[in-house]
Amino acid sequence: MAVPLPPDLVAMMARGVSVIVASRDAALRPNLMRAVGSRVEEDGRTITVYLSRRQSRQVVQDLAATGNIAVVFSEPSTHRSVQLKASRLDMRNADAQDTAVLERYRVAMEREIQQVGFAPPLTRAMLAHRLEDVVAVRFTPEQAFDQTPGPRAGTPLGSTP
Amino acid sequence: MSAPTLQDIRCCFEGIIPAVVATCSAEGVPNVAYISQVFYAGERHVALSFQFFNKTRQNILANPHATALLIDPGTAQFYRLYIRYLRTETAGPLFEGMRAQLAGIASHSGMQDVFRLLGSDVYEVERVEALEGDPLPAPPPRAGLLGGVRRASERLARCASLDEALNAVLATLNDDLAIHHAMVLMLDPGAQRLYTVASCGYATSGVGSEIGLGQGVIGVAARERTPVRIGHMTSAALYTQAMRNSFDANVPDFEAVAEIPYPGLAQPNSQLAVPIQNGGRTLGVLFVESTQELQFSYEDEDALVAIAGHLGATIELMQATNEAGEASTPPSAPGTPTAPAAAAPLVVRHFAANDSIFLGDSYLIKGVAGAILWKLLRDHRQLGRTEFSNRELRLDPALRLPDISDNLEARLLLLQRRLAEQGGALRMEKTGRGRFRLVLQRPVELVST
Repeated sequence: MAVPLPPDLVAMMARGVSVIVASRDAALRPNLMRAVGSRVEEDGRTITVYLSRRQSRQVVQDLAATGNIAVVFSEPSTHRSVQLKASRLDMRNADAQDTAVLERYRVAMEREIQQVGFAPPLTRAMLAHRLEDVVAVRFTPEQAFDQTPGPRAGTPLGSTP
Repeated sequence: MSAPTLQDIRCCFEGIIPAVVATCSAEGVPNVAYISQVFYAGERHVALSFQFFNKTRQNILANPHATALLIDPGTAQFYRLYIRYLRTETAGPLFEGMRAQLAGIASHSGMQDVFRLLGSDVYEVERVEALEGDPLPAPPPRAGLLGGVRRASERLARCASLDEALNAVLATLNDDLAIHHAMVLMLDPGAQRLYTVASCGYATSGVGSEIGLGQGVIGVAARERTPVRIGHMTSAALYTQAMRNSFDANVPDFEAVAEIPYPGLAQPNSQLAVPIQNGGRTLGVLFVESTQELQFSYEDEDALVAIAGHLGATIELMQATNEAGEASTPPSAPGTPTAPAAAAPLVVRHFAANDSIFLGDSYLIKGVAGAILWKLLRDHRQLGRTEFSNRELRLDPALRLPDISDNLEARLLLLQRRLAEQGGALRMEKTGRGRFRLVLQRPVELVST
């Protein structure tokens, strides 16, 4: 069951902000990577994050093996952050129909990162990928946590299943 | 490519682009969180800032394995650190060093009310992984830093006074290290304040401007006795604010005119403050800044720490030598008054409440330096004296010099420079080791309030 997310938070996520994806293996060793793109659909009930495989081999392997995923969305200029968790997901290779999503994300991130003082070439290097090497990971958030730095960090959002 | 060492990736440990850490609960639920600070704690260890009791904290106590994702803020090269939690430190040099750096990170990210270090979580680094990617080309390595340190050392070794030593350091920064905005502040241990004694690269020297211990990047570096470096500042608001309140507002007739403006850049984008220490004591701070982002690297910090160390030793050695010199030099005969009688008298006002001195309507100085000048002027009026020694000032109970650790030489230099900046109607000239002359170009009228 999807956890309901506040509309303003969904709007922030959909705009294209920093996305970090975490996994763990069978021995409970965690791993993580920055996503090269994201897509938010159905008022936040369906989330797709894109990983560059050459940078995320262990993460992709862990996600496939366990289905456990944690993703943090964070707006660099305000530090406003939310963490989503799920125990089920599906994965596919990205293809031409994802190009527009990835491109829109890059443009949004260039703007975001520029606001905190870094020129677009750095953002482009940070998000560099080859489409044929990208994996799309789709999941429905089961849990969501406020992760904006401060005393409220870690507070669950919405009702947990 | 062989695995990088922590030393190789020190540029990622700046907190400029925050690192991210993944942990996993005992039940197998992964967690990912931004972390303000990953601190280099030797070649095999890093320390992560523990600021909140959150899921990361719960997880590492149950399952010590964690993975951190770092990025080189210059090239966007990613690194993973595979780490294992060992312990949390809540005191000591590591903790203090991180707390000071976190204060800088907080001030640059506007989180000064939120970021507070509860502990330094120390991790063993099991492996460093450089990720594949398309990073930007790395800038060529900085050449000549070691040569700059050598030149500073050579110049300092030739100096015979504090004045020369400070000029030597600022000249080396400018000529050899391409650092064009710098200042040296000395600590007044009694007042717990730092006062500027030398600067370069600013519209006004700012000599005499003050900062409270613990205020801003400079004050934190002095209080915590650790370098503080900020490479990316979008707003200097917090820092400039820390420069206010540098005089006593409760003294009558002592309004904002009495504040010597802090000389620093209006829009600094890189700042580095390095404590000047010797014999376990903090003497002051060497501070540099730039309008450029990411201007000061770990290598610059290494160079400045080395130079500040040499400067600290030089200052202390000079003071010891001067004291020995003062004791062995016979007092010279009183000089003749130098003021030409024809010129209009300069009104010198003294406010006893804080020993502030005004020349005409212009604020000059306050505190110990103000008290020293007032003593010199009174001795001149009553006894016709113009020749003075450091030693007599040190021994004068009325001046209440804090103790032997007080740097009288620095206070005299401050006074000398402030007088010179006020047009030279009054001047101090060094006449020998630990000796100087008061030169009056105009008669003075002393008014005490």
